[in-house]
Amino acid sequence: MAAPTAKVSRGWSGLALGVRIAVLRLPGLTQVRWSRYGPEYQDPQIDKEYYRKPLAQLTEEETYERELRKTQVIKAAPATKTSSVFEDPVISKFTNMMMKGGNKILARSLMTQTLEAVKRKQFEKYHAASAEEQATVERNPYTIFHQALKNCEPVIGLVPILKGGHFYQVPVPLAERRRRFLAMKWMITECREKKPRRMLMPEKLSQELLEAFCNRGPVIKRKHDMHKMAEANRALAHYRWW
Amino acid sequence: SLPPVLRFPCAVHQLLDPGRFSHLGTQAPQCPVAHLDNQVPTERTRAISRTLENDPAKHGEQHVGQHYNISIQELKTVFPHGLPPRFVMQVKTFNEACLMVRKPALELLHYLKNTNFAHPAVRYVLYGEKGTGKTLSLCHIIHFCAKQDWLILHIPDAHLWVKNCRDLLQSTYNKQRFDQPLEASIWLKNFKTANERFLSQIKVQDKYVWNKRESTEKGSPLAEVVEQGIMRVRNATDAVGIVLKELKRQSSLGVFRLLVAVDGVNALWGRTTLKREDKSPITPEELALIYNLRKMVKNDWQGGAIVLTVSQTGSLFKPRKAYLPQELLGKEGFDTLDPFIPILVSNYNPKEFEGCIQYYLENNWLQHEKAHTEEGKKELLFLSNRNPGLLERLCAYL
Repeated sequence: MAAPTAKVSRGWSGLALGVRIAVLRLPGLTQVRWSRYGPEYQDPQIDKEYYRKPLAQLTEEETYERELRKTQVIKAAPATKTSSVFEDPVISKFTNMMMKGGNKILARSLMTQTLEAVKRKQFEKYHAASAEEQATVERNPYTIFHQALKNCEPVIGLVPILKGGHFYQVPVPLAERRRRFLAMKWMITECREKKPRRMLMPEKLSQELLEAFCNRGPVIKRKHDMHKMAEANRALAHYRWW
Repeated sequence: SLPPVLRFPCAVHQLLDPGRFSHLGTQAPQCPVAHLDNQVPTERTRAISRTLENDPAKHGEQHVGQHYNISIQELKTVFPHGLPPRFVMQVKTFNEACLMVRKPALELLHYLKNTNFAHPAVRYVLYGEKGTGKTLSLCHIIHFCAKQDWLILHIPDAHLWVKNCRDLLQSTYNKQRFDQPLEASIWLKNFKTANERFLSQIKVQDKYVWNKRESTEKGSPLAEVVEQGIMRVRNATDAVGIVLKELKRQSSLGVFRLLVAVDGVNALWGRTTLKREDKSPITPEELALIYNLRKMVKNDWQGGAIVLTVSQTGSLFKPRKAYLPQELLGKEGFDTLDPFIPILVSNYNPKEFEGCIQYYLENNWLQHEKAHTEEGKKELLFLSNRNPGLLERLCAYL
């Protein structure tokens, strides 16, 4: 979250460079997520290809950029961002959301077991299908994962707005990241709460992902319910002021 | 394009002459280079990762790193138990069972082909770090012996007999020992599936009385003892003991050849997690199954071979990093097994690694787009350190 720094007023000259002072962005709202890095800190460049380009092949802009980066301060790269070719930000975000109590090892193993379960189920379907249908069966667990989450994203959402002493559910267009968050949240809640007692998470998650990939299943239903509610409340759309 | 020819001379030879196998050494064959250029890439990858020679007896140095196929029918008869669970899942997913030919297994096959059946049985111990392929090498050997018509006595995992036993009965034969009816009956069922044809030929040489009403006469086939063990679960452990005793006695006569294959033999001399009713711990020799198995593993009989595996996975009270036979067997076990031939099973060499990756690529197991690139392969090599078990787990979710 890139929050604006406060103007350094007279009393604060003793602070070290780069340390952010706590600032209230809007009246009545406290900032809960901020980083200790100042605005001058640049994000780290993790991509290996960037560094492998031979110096002779760089354009003028790129050489200028490289020289500039040598003078700038750079944030430390988080432990979860690797330069692995197999890394996927969506998978990392989903794993973090599944994590409980900081147990990343368990969350990651559940994620890998889910991907493996999805792959094995699709392979079974592939072998059972006839030659024409085999071309339609998708066996890549990553495409299935991405497509399933994309299918679960709602287009429009509801926001409680206070007007005249009552809270009204007003339909509101959602930002891209809010939609992705809602899709992942619904998926995880669905798998945690509605699964049979002895079923493990990877099995249930793989089931739900495959159903969402085919636009069926409870998470898609929840998205449709959200859309229907928004459609029903469309008279309240005027309460939105942004 | 000389480099490809030099790098995979055996593979090219396979391509030209799948039926014939000659010892190639280091010279490149005199094949037309243009021929190789016209080959479709898939043919070449199949030549690296697969071989058409499905008989383990004919496997040689040139097949190292290549997979050979076992038909599903054969799999059901030869391996009713004993395959690692992840391998069983892989067989189910790919609809085919392919085993890689590796150096330790080839070494053992060479020794087995040149065994002198008049001498006492030689003990071979496969050891290595976790995930290097000891169990699958053992399965390769068992497949070879099954094809050569040996009698296979395969205990899939001796660790399962010393832990998590729900029902321990006091043995009827010897009051000091304990019976494990469930484990014994499961093992008897699988033993019957693997060795159907021998059970009717081998005749029991003693009379065995089960209880007041049932007994097995001298001269009746071994199948009756096995049936008795499967049907009367209370006598299953004793049935196993009888089977072991009879096979040991009669293999020395030369009627059949016996292969004793035990996976996780360090369980026989370790500690158990089983307790009596008064919570005092039970030592392995107080379990009748273990007691009889120890007699089997002694080299005082002729007419066969004993192939063993020591593993830390599944072992009790042993540190995770221990893999040497001395560490895992303990003093008692090592002294009992001494002398034995140790065979180290290590991680894949570059050729085997390449073969494994090609096999996965052929079966479309590696679905991630980046896994097909050189970068992806280098990363897999780095992450798995060429360890077969780790590589399999990595490729499962990629």
